[in-house]
Amino acid sequence: MDDAQSTLDPAVADDEITSNRAIAFDSPAAADAVREASRETVAIATPPSRRFRNLLPRRSAKLVGGLVIVGAIVLFGILGPLIAQPPRDSDNPSLEPPSADHWLGTTKLGYDVFAQLAWGAQGSLMIGLVAGTIALVLAVVFGVLAGYFGGVVDEALSLLTNIMLVIPGLPLVMVIAAYVQRSEGLGDFARSSVLVAIVLGITGWAGSAVVLRAQARSLRTREYVAAARVAGERAWRVIFVEILPNLVPLLAAQFIFGIIFAILGEAGLSYLGLGATGSITWGTVLNDAQTGQAVGTGAWWWFVPPGAMIAALGAGLSLINFAIDEVVNPKLRLAPENARQVRRAAKAGRGVTETGVIA
Amino acid sequence: MIRRTKRSIATAVAAGATALALALTGCAPTAETGVESRPLRVWAGSATPINHNFNPFNVDTAVHATYGAIYEPLFFFNQLSSEPPVGLIGDSYEFSEDGTVITVTLKPDLTWSDGEPLTAADVAFTFGYGPNTSDDMVSAQPVDDTTVVLTFSKPQFTRASLILGSTWIVPEHIWGEIDDYMAETNPEPVGSGPYVVKDFTEASYTVTANEQFRDGAPAVKEVQYIGIDGNQSSQDLLATGQLDWVGQFISNPESVTGNGVISTLNLQQDPTVIVTCSSAELGCTGPQTDPAVRQAINVAIDRSTIREKAFAGLAGEATPTFMLLPRDEGWLSDPILEVSPQESDAAEASGILEAAGYTKGVDGFYAKNGQTIELDLFSPDGWTDYNDAAKLIAEQAAEAGIKITARTVSDADYWTPISAGDFQLAMYGLAASLVADPYSTYSQYFASTSTATVGDDPVSGQNYARYGNPAVDAAIVAAGATQDEATKRDAYSTIHAEIVRDLPYIPVVLNASQSFFNTKDYTGWPSESDLYAVPLPYTSVANAVLLTHLSPVS
Amino acid sequence: MSFYLRRITFYVVTLWAAISLNFLLPRLLPGDPAQIMIGKLRRANGGRPISEEMIDAITSILGSDEGSMWDQYLAYWGRLLQGDLGVSSTRYPAPVAELIAQALPWTIILVGVATVISFVLGIVVGAWVGWRRGTWLDHLVPITTVFQSIPYFWLALVLVAVFSVNLGLFPIIGGYDFFAFPAGPEWSWAFVGSAVTHAILPATTIVLSSVGGWLLGMRNMMVSTLSEDYVVTAEAKGLTPRRIRTRYAARNAAIPSLAGFGIALGFVVAGSIVMEQVFSYPGIGKLMIQSVQGLDYALMQGVFLIITITVLAANFFMDVIYGFIDPRARHNG
Repeated sequence: MDDAQSTLDPAVADDEITSNRAIAFDSPAAADAVREASRETVAIATPPSRRFRNLLPRRSAKLVGGLVIVGAIVLFGILGPLIAQPPRDSDNPSLEPPSADHWLGTTKLGYDVFAQLAWGAQGSLMIGLVAGTIALVLAVVFGVLAGYFGGVVDEALSLLTNIMLVIPGLPLVMVIAAYVQRSEGLGDFARSSVLVAIVLGITGWAGSAVVLRAQARSLRTREYVAAARVAGERAWRVIFVEILPNLVPLLAAQFIFGIIFAILGEAGLSYLGLGATGSITWGTVLNDAQTGQAVGTGAWWWFVPPGAMIAALGAGLSLINFAIDEVVNPKLRLAPENARQVRRAAKAGRGVTETGVIA
Repeated sequence: MIRRTKRSIATAVAAGATALALALTGCAPTAETGVESRPLRVWAGSATPINHNFNPFNVDTAVHATYGAIYEPLFFFNQLSSEPPVGLIGDSYEFSEDGTVITVTLKPDLTWSDGEPLTAADVAFTFGYGPNTSDDMVSAQPVDDTTVVLTFSKPQFTRASLILGSTWIVPEHIWGEIDDYMAETNPEPVGSGPYVVKDFTEASYTVTANEQFRDGAPAVKEVQYIGIDGNQSSQDLLATGQLDWVGQFISNPESVTGNGVISTLNLQQDPTVIVTCSSAELGCTGPQTDPAVRQAINVAIDRSTIREKAFAGLAGEATPTFMLLPRDEGWLSDPILEVSPQESDAAEASGILEAAGYTKGVDGFYAKNGQTIELDLFSPDGWTDYNDAAKLIAEQAAEAGIKITARTVSDADYWTPISAGDFQLAMYGLAASLVADPYSTYSQYFASTSTATVGDDPVSGQNYARYGNPAVDAAIVAAGATQDEATKRDAYSTIHAEIVRDLPYIPVVLNASQSFFNTKDYTGWPSESDLYAVPLPYTSVANAVLLTHLSPVS
Repeated sequence: MSFYLRRITFYVVTLWAAISLNFLLPRLLPGDPAQIMIGKLRRANGGRPISEEMIDAITSILGSDEGSMWDQYLAYWGRLLQGDLGVSSTRYPAPVAELIAQALPWTIILVGVATVISFVLGIVVGAWVGWRRGTWLDHLVPITTVFQSIPYFWLALVLVAVFSVNLGLFPIIGGYDFFAFPAGPEWSWAFVGSAVTHAILPATTIVLSSVGGWLLGMRNMMVSTLSEDYVVTAEAKGLTPRRIRTRYAARNAAIPSLAGFGIALGFVVAGSIVMEQVFSYPGIGKLMIQSVQGLDYALMQGVFLIITITVLAANFFMDVIYGFIDPRARHNG
């Protein structure tokens, strides 16, 4: 099958599959392990520049699409507030449908919806980034450290991770948010978007931690890690220099998950009245629209765009995650292309098989 | 080997699903036809799960049918008119000269819904039971089967509506056995009202006509109160013809009344205000303790914009006298005080502040001694009209140079600081007086006996603004001690002059109370020309009076 | 066997941790439930003073406990084991256990059935999309990511506005038709039909929002698995495509989805809380929201606890199934 691969898929570089040939295997698990090992030997054998480029996602429709969507929204968040009207200026007629003056109409109080969306983009993206970063850092601590050190550290950190995993997220966030917002001394900060981001971040890391731990555990057994330890490198240096760089695609994927989770979580919290009511985010715009009876008064221009923006950003980020997935697991990219070419060949009569695994 | 093809499996699944769906929809009950055979459907504001509580002493938790449909007071005081109260259990009442003794005559031959006779003994028992007792009460004695004498240590002229209109008469033969009246949920209530409980679930409860009712069983045989969790759902149900009576805020009433079934009435009664913690002596802190700041805010806000945008044009114009006009116009001595200024006047606000020693800083906001004055205004989550009004107020005040920050808080975090005086400004709602006499408004909200220092909750009354003005206190006492109209009018003039200058509560609008009801299937609803009761299903007593006036259209 | 033992131990420890967290959090929350209740009563009474007896009655049931934190903790465990979850302050004096018992069946049935449907649908469709890799179906995959990113409540409100109000196809609110059944749930086919009709839109919301995740995961795993050498071996041995697809590829591909069920369930619970609010569905998610908004500490604690226990039970159940399906997990611990 590997020979067939080299003729059917010219996109695959020769040096990547040299070590895949002629390997015997007696069980799927063993085959998997061998494949893992070979992937790593490829990592050593290739020069650093090529290695970095191999880590980057291949250009594909999904990646380009995702980057375009996310890029457009980020640009909207940065440039939108500069060109839009003030978002809290009620000096306009209320509940106006989209027009030349107000591209997306106005809210019940007369605020310009386009301006609210633009500032909301800033707010939501900021929450996503802050929460995503906090979640990622915590996931690295609980996941990579647990996976690398093993033993008691692993047991303890794993237990905490699993507990956080099983306790349902939204109820926990609600209770913590209710608690924090009632604390005295926090004043204005209590209802700010930074606080919401922090709460979301510290409750959303568990899933990523599990994934990172599994990867760190498998990386721990690599020869180069053993070599570094034998050479007397300190633990934190091994982690930062040897392990984390190999986890970069995974870290990126988990970071993106964290952002999506945070933005959706903030929207849900705002709907329940526990969100960042002091700031403008897509979630608070949605909450205002919903309490302002936007659906009942038929003001779709107020209610639909924020939800659509959240969905679009989520979709774009997911597409990027797809492309990253295809780097982490090249089979996801290669197999469909292979299958497509086999089918085409079969249809043209040059069939390798007519039925079977590729149908 | 039998090869089941994909197609046959799919067909089997589809056939099974179709059969199941048909069976289930076939079993669904058909819609009821004819308005006599279905109950009147009301949403009085209950959220699900509905509390199974008909205890009239659990004022915050018991369901709405308890107050009027099942239990009744002695008289019905119609908030919307200046007519004398209508007798329910009571027939007539009389004050002694000094107002310390009330003699009530009951209607004859009354019974409870379980058949036991309702006599003066029950009434006397009620006034001596549980939370109905007060420090002022000396005794409550039945003279004979239909006469009760209530004796107090102080004149009770101004508490007539409370005593005679808001005390729920309960049967002695049931409540005499109950010691812990707070923990009792009273799931099977025995009352004197026009309805008794039929069914109860956590999603809705139904009451049915009381055959023993003194005026005969009401024409509407069954009333079903449902539980809903959001105004949007209620609006949807109204629009699709599944609800008959609702009292809620709908900003576009045409969407509901357009089908020709539902009519609407909009009564503007309860003042929406900015309550301020106004007295530095009682411990208030912040720039709002300076009357000049409050007066400046008063003229800086644009009430017509607030009415149009935050209240969808449905709220009325507020008056700084806090009387309900035109019902109370007999007490209005200065016609200027009839309405608060509706347009904003930033120049006047500046003038007031500058005369009081404030100077405008470079940031455009007024400052004293170099420090920009900042005010904190909060309102509860989910109260959209208050929240929108607060945002607009902050914006309008900023245009006049006053820095106000509007924020929302959770429900529980709203009441506690106001009660304790731990606030600067808050959106708040006052209740209009129940009778055509603003005494209760002034006594509750402005008397220094109704307040407490910051940190303590007032023991009686609701003077959360911490207002204490000896001239006002004296006028309130004078007005309460007599029934002479001239004396009272003078007292109220004094009060008006003081509170309009001091503005412990800054009036914003007169909040809309919209009611929606089914005029196609039922007649007898109140109308603009005949407001015999407040048409809101959550108003106690009035809701029952209304129900007894209704009859199905045949 | 040690696998099961480890999992059981883990769940017991997690349960203990959840209960302790439950105990701790409201006590960290500032505010006194009794005071809040008294304040509410005064307002509802029109400002009239409240008698001493009433204040005593409220404080005795809702008031702060006596004794040190450790004593309170033990007392809490004692009450818990007797099934006493306290008294709700927003629905005074209804006991919390009763409120939860009323609401729990609705949530378990709706969320349970919707999750199972979503899971099965995701796995089956994901397997099929993975099988047909390289065809136009691959373009279907990004569309599912859009659905996954839509906020639950937004989707629910849009569905209600379109299908219930404008088209009148589905009921607007409720778990059953309370106009047709004013006496409440009864054991009849008509009632079951009513409950099913009322569950369609809420269940659709849950399914639409969560199926994407499982579909994607299954599709990716399917594609990976189909490239494995043992699959080629199976084909070379002459097995039918259907057999390969189901017994070799899909079975192995489904394992990570099963293992990740617990994580995904958390998202479903979160979404269903919000969904119950939109549809006025009589489940415990709505109780949770009301208790947080009204700062009803006892109810909040009780609902949080029940949600955690239910999720733990579901996870444990899935673990048992996973151990049954995948012998590697059983033997490797």
